[in-house]
Amino acid sequence: MISKAFAEEALCCALSGGADFAELYGEITRNNVVTMVDGKIERANDTLISGVGIRAFLGTRTVFASTSDLSRDGLMKCARAVAAAIGELREDVHVTLRERFLPNLHPARIVPSSVDAKERADLLRRGCFAAKEYDPAISQVTGSLAGVDHTILVANTEGLYTTDRHIRTRIGVSAVASGDGINQSGSAFPGAGLGLELFDRVDPRDVGVEAARQAMVNLRADYCPAGKMTVAIENGFGGVIFHEACGHSLEATSVAIGASQMAGKLGEKIANEKVTAIDDGTIPNAWGSVNIDDEGTPTQRNVLIENGVLKSYMIDRLGSRRMGMPMTGNGRRQSYTYAATSRMTNTFIANGPDRNEDIIASIENGLYCRKMGGGSVNPLTGAFNFAVTEGYLVRNGKICEPVRGASLIGTGSEILQNIDMVGQNLETAQGMCGSESGSVPTDVGQPLIRVSSITVGGR
Amino acid sequence: MNFERMKNALVRAAQSMGLEQYEIYAQTGESVSVETLKDEVSSFVFGTEGGICFRCIVDGKMGYASGELMTEEAMEDLVRAAISNARCIDNEDEVFIFKGSPAYETVDLAPAVLADAAQVRATALELQKATYAASDKVGDGTQSVALSFTAEEHLYNSHGLSLSNRVGLRGAYVAPVVRDGDEAQNHTEFALGMGFESLSDLPQKAVCGALDKLGAVTVPSGKYDVIFDGKQFRGFLSAFSGVFSAKNAQQGLSLLAGKEGSAVAASCVTLTDDPMRKGSPMQTPFDGEGVATARRCVIENGTLKTLLYDLTTAAKAGVASTGNGQKGSYAAPVSIAPYNFSVAPGTLTEEELFAQTPDGIYITECKGFHAGANEVTGDFSIESAGFRIRNGKRAEPIKSFTVAGNFFDLLKAIDLIANDVKWGIPRGYTVFGSPSLRVRNMSIAGD
Repeated sequence: MISKAFAEEALCCALSGGADFAELYGEITRNNVVTMVDGKIERANDTLISGVGIRAFLGTRTVFASTSDLSRDGLMKCARAVAAAIGELREDVHVTLRERFLPNLHPARIVPSSVDAKERADLLRRGCFAAKEYDPAISQVTGSLAGVDHTILVANTEGLYTTDRHIRTRIGVSAVASGDGINQSGSAFPGAGLGLELFDRVDPRDVGVEAARQAMVNLRADYCPAGKMTVAIENGFGGVIFHEACGHSLEATSVAIGASQMAGKLGEKIANEKVTAIDDGTIPNAWGSVNIDDEGTPTQRNVLIENGVLKSYMIDRLGSRRMGMPMTGNGRRQSYTYAATSRMTNTFIANGPDRNEDIIASIENGLYCRKMGGGSVNPLTGAFNFAVTEGYLVRNGKICEPVRGASLIGTGSEILQNIDMVGQNLETAQGMCGSESGSVPTDVGQPLIRVSSITVGGR
Repeated sequence: MNFERMKNALVRAAQSMGLEQYEIYAQTGESVSVETLKDEVSSFVFGTEGGICFRCIVDGKMGYASGELMTEEAMEDLVRAAISNARCIDNEDEVFIFKGSPAYETVDLAPAVLADAAQVRATALELQKATYAASDKVGDGTQSVALSFTAEEHLYNSHGLSLSNRVGLRGAYVAPVVRDGDEAQNHTEFALGMGFESLSDLPQKAVCGALDKLGAVTVPSGKYDVIFDGKQFRGFLSAFSGVFSAKNAQQGLSLLAGKEGSAVAASCVTLTDDPMRKGSPMQTPFDGEGVATARRCVIENGTLKTLLYDLTTAAKAGVASTGNGQKGSYAAPVSIAPYNFSVAPGTLTEEELFAQTPDGIYITECKGFHAGANEVTGDFSIESAGFRIRNGKRAEPIKSFTVAGNFFDLLKAIDLIANDVKWGIPRGYTVFGSPSLRVRNMSIAGD
């Protein structure tokens, strides 16, 4: 994509403005998507994203320039813009790059872009048809199958010159159930850091059935009541509670500038002692895994919270400089147009000491959230929200009728203390996390947990 | 990007592969932004991007392929990929490469020019300084950002239709963090427009916004009359804008299907889409298919006058396209979206709106629409913050509550509208606006 000689030349130029460090990130990404609506393949779209971003540091000041022009001219124009904006001119600049190879922990077999759109469409069709056939009340089904083939090159003035290729595949089916003038919806979106062999593990039909099942549950659900309740949140995407309530507040992006409620709390007990939380970018072929982050640092397993005590933040290169702490392999970006910043990879609450049946049995009056949607957080105040996409009232320790339209809100510091039971069926689920450096794939996860008190945004 | 050269390469490839109907669409953009932290520049960002989309009709199906690699070889690959993609489509809706509208409006804007980097830097530093000076409670984490971008689009098709447009935007965000004892609050204000002229009151507004949140209390759950700040209500318009898409309606994904001509909102509600809105930096005379855009009332005095159409959905419904077939990015397929989409202003001043609301809640912050709002069902439950309204006046700040309901009920429950439309941040050519307005009897979940 960019030869060692060109990279050296561009990095030298970027440094010539007086920077103490410069890095180059090149990217070629092939996105292949097929979408289906109403039983018909509606769209097949291929996009080739290619470009380069160059960033220079002078202490904690940074200059970043990006261009879709991968030619030598494009590269040098970027490097000169960076040099001109960072500081005083220097002439004694030399950069020698050494190529580094790392083993690929996430091998993929069938590259999505190498398979004809028709074949990919057939896989999607299976999922969508299964949803449609689930029940006559299923009035509409939409679906997508997306493949990403992402090759990156990272070079920096510490001498690093390395590449990585990351392939991922995801199928999504959304179903709408209609009756009495109302629509209700359900969806499922499994994915992995795999090629199309994902479908050796995931049957598209199960995805369609799951989406339709949720829509049907919601169709017979009444509105969720409002107020503070005891809530049990199921495994898988339920882990979005940790992602929003705590994960974002542990990213250097906000911690390093004092804009996080978790800043300065290392070693403190910030959560109930049953809570151990981990960010692990090394899980083989997981959706949020990569061999190296977008700054070239190998990903690692970071224990964020151990038995309630804050052990680690997630730190990118700039965060490392600001905080005086080592990088943790969390420097990520959507594409060359964004500068990398600290982001989550696969983040989850580990299995705890409680039996799942005891968790439900312990709730006299509350809510059981079987499926969760997305959410958001203000890292400064810790105020967060996330949506319940399939919920049931719990009475006297028994799961009762379904309820719909609720969200859960709270503040991270309070909710982490309120997670007072942690079950044993840890499972992860896939999401796209949006933040300063764009949208990146992340896994969330947890076993069934109990939150002793949280505000349920119902009616 | 050398558009002419890439266009010629695509035309050659298209002709040699026997294509008769095709379109070439390109977007390029340039941006510069400066972010400050404490009293210095923390980051300087320059961007140059550009991409090209080729789409063509093969046996009545539209295939797409897009890319950023600007070589003649890559252009040939795009044509091949678009053909192969067209061949796997089985949707039978009629597709079009457009011959052109009789006339296109002229953009009423000064030519868009990227701001000088030094000026952007100076603006950001000035704002940051004024933000710290606005209160001694302002502290670490406070950021001011100044930015400028320009974007250009080109559309050329096999009928010889050739259109282009250039837009630009300058502006700033100010996001102070204020602290009082153990409590920290933040708030963001922005001003985005044609120049840096109107930024001087931004720091004061932003700092006041953050200070006002200090000491917020919780509120008991219940039913309340709610005044939505226009800045928040436009969030609802944005989250539910898809319900006005004819495509969603035709696919059974919008509950407005079949409701054209019916009352769908309170009679005080008029909703307009104005692609060439005066004062908007993002004016566009044509959509992503080359159809001329035009101002429209989508809802007039409560009645749904029209949905938004592109060529395919219009043909299916037997009407004309409303010129809302947008390209969200060069690579995105044509998708129906509004331009400057807003609730039309009422006649009340904001003070009068409060004066008529003796007891209620004023909502000044709504978050998490992407999760808490469901376009298909209309249901929403949104994390909010704001103020109690007591005796017709803004009273104590309140936090940690949700407002929940259904968008279609919400439209019918609006009963008072203020006269101040507040516009949001453009995403592509789309920007939402709303005046502050009142809705009776909303469900609030708090303590």
